[in-house]
Amino acid sequence: MRSGLIVMLAVVAGLLTPHSFFAHHSSAAYEIGKRVTLKGTVKQWVYSNPHCMLILEVKGEGGEVVVWTNETQAPSVIFAVGYRRDSFKFGDQVTITVEPFKNGEPYGRILGAVLADGKVLGPALSPPPSNAAPQP
Amino acid sequence: MRKPSPLSAVFFAVVAWPVATFAQTGSAGGWPAPDWNKAPITDANRKPAPRRSLVGTWGPAAGPGAGTQASGVQLKPNDGKPENQLPYTPYGMELYRSHKALEGIDAVLPGKDNDPRNLCEPLGVPRYNHYNLRIAQIFQDDYKVVILYSYDNRWRVIWTDGRELPKLVDGSIEIGGEIREQRFFGYSVGRWVDDYTLEVQTVGTMPDDRVWLDSTGRPISEQARVTETFRRVDYDTLVWSETVDDPKVYTKPWETMRLPMRLQDPRTDLMEYYCSPVEQDNYNKLFGNAASGKGAK
Repeated sequence: MRSGLIVMLAVVAGLLTPHSFFAHHSSAAYEIGKRVTLKGTVKQWVYSNPHCMLILEVKGEGGEVVVWTNETQAPSVIFAVGYRRDSFKFGDQVTITVEPFKNGEPYGRILGAVLADGKVLGPALSPPPSNAAPQP
Repeated sequence: MRKPSPLSAVFFAVVAWPVATFAQTGSAGGWPAPDWNKAPITDANRKPAPRRSLVGTWGPAAGPGAGTQASGVQLKPNDGKPENQLPYTPYGMELYRSHKALEGIDAVLPGKDNDPRNLCEPLGVPRYNHYNLRIAQIFQDDYKVVILYSYDNRWRVIWTDGRELPKLVDGSIEIGGEIREQRFFGYSVGRWVDDYTLEVQTVGTMPDDRVWLDSTGRPISEQARVTETFRRVDYDTLVWSETVDDPKVYTKPWETMRLPMRLQDPRTDLMEYYCSPVEQDNYNKLFGNAASGKGAK
């Protein structure tokens, strides 16, 4: 079961194209290419513009609870890949893959999610991202 | 109750068939969402373009991400590659350097930007062509073409009744000898180059301290002359192109976009995608401020 979940998340994360998907706000805050898998309890799902946000309580290895705040795109953008206003409910146990902040704070942007009922959300409908080159 | 005749049953079936068929492929409840998985246009399914008509609900043929242009205008992403460098004038470069964008090679952290978009300012023409251009609805009559942009529910009129394009004068715009105001959407006039191509000129846009060209902070000034062509290639395909000529900011005209658009079902329902100061503020409190080190919540 657990390995199946990991495979699903890997597929979702691999198919996503974060740069073009997350169009509204800066990519500069993120550690591009890094992936963190979070399994936790839904505290809040904010379904609004400019970006939806999922606030998740995640238990660390030492048993402490860390609150992760994660963004995704606007409702009209993520609708096409399955996200809905009731996708996440308070208390749901979910697993998400995020690209975390560079600064080490518990913030990230969602690259894929497995809901409480096992439903996988994503990938995004976007073309391949442009390849960033060094500034001349 | 009287039993329906076989004829009335046939009539009902014929009338109801297209709707029923579509309802099966749309979203639940008959509120169809954009279809991003349409079959490609080939010689087998290509239908001829209608004459002098752009009417339709159009989405990027390569999918919604193709019109997002978060990395900069479609043909020149702001990625630092030599081929994508723009021909800035000294003033244009100075303007670009003063813009703190959230996207592109020189992106800054959220909260450290000065993008007018984040104040919920109108983006103006031509930036609406380069900001989340996911769906555009086009209507027209004998006098005008109207474009409804899905982002922020904005609309724009292109006059096709033969009127003259206003004259660009230094720092302003002139119509019939009168000085007129600059506009976020400028003044647009279109003419049919042939039965399938509408060429549109726009002048009189807002000054460079009010609007940007794209999300990476490329500038554009009130001296810009924007030329768009809408070429109806076939019934299902429209190619939307744009060239910017802005001598105050760029040393020569350059092409920003050549985007194939695919016809969507006219009954497609669009979700709202807007800039709300209240929701923007909530986002910053919960998330955005953390990225810039201001602390969230």
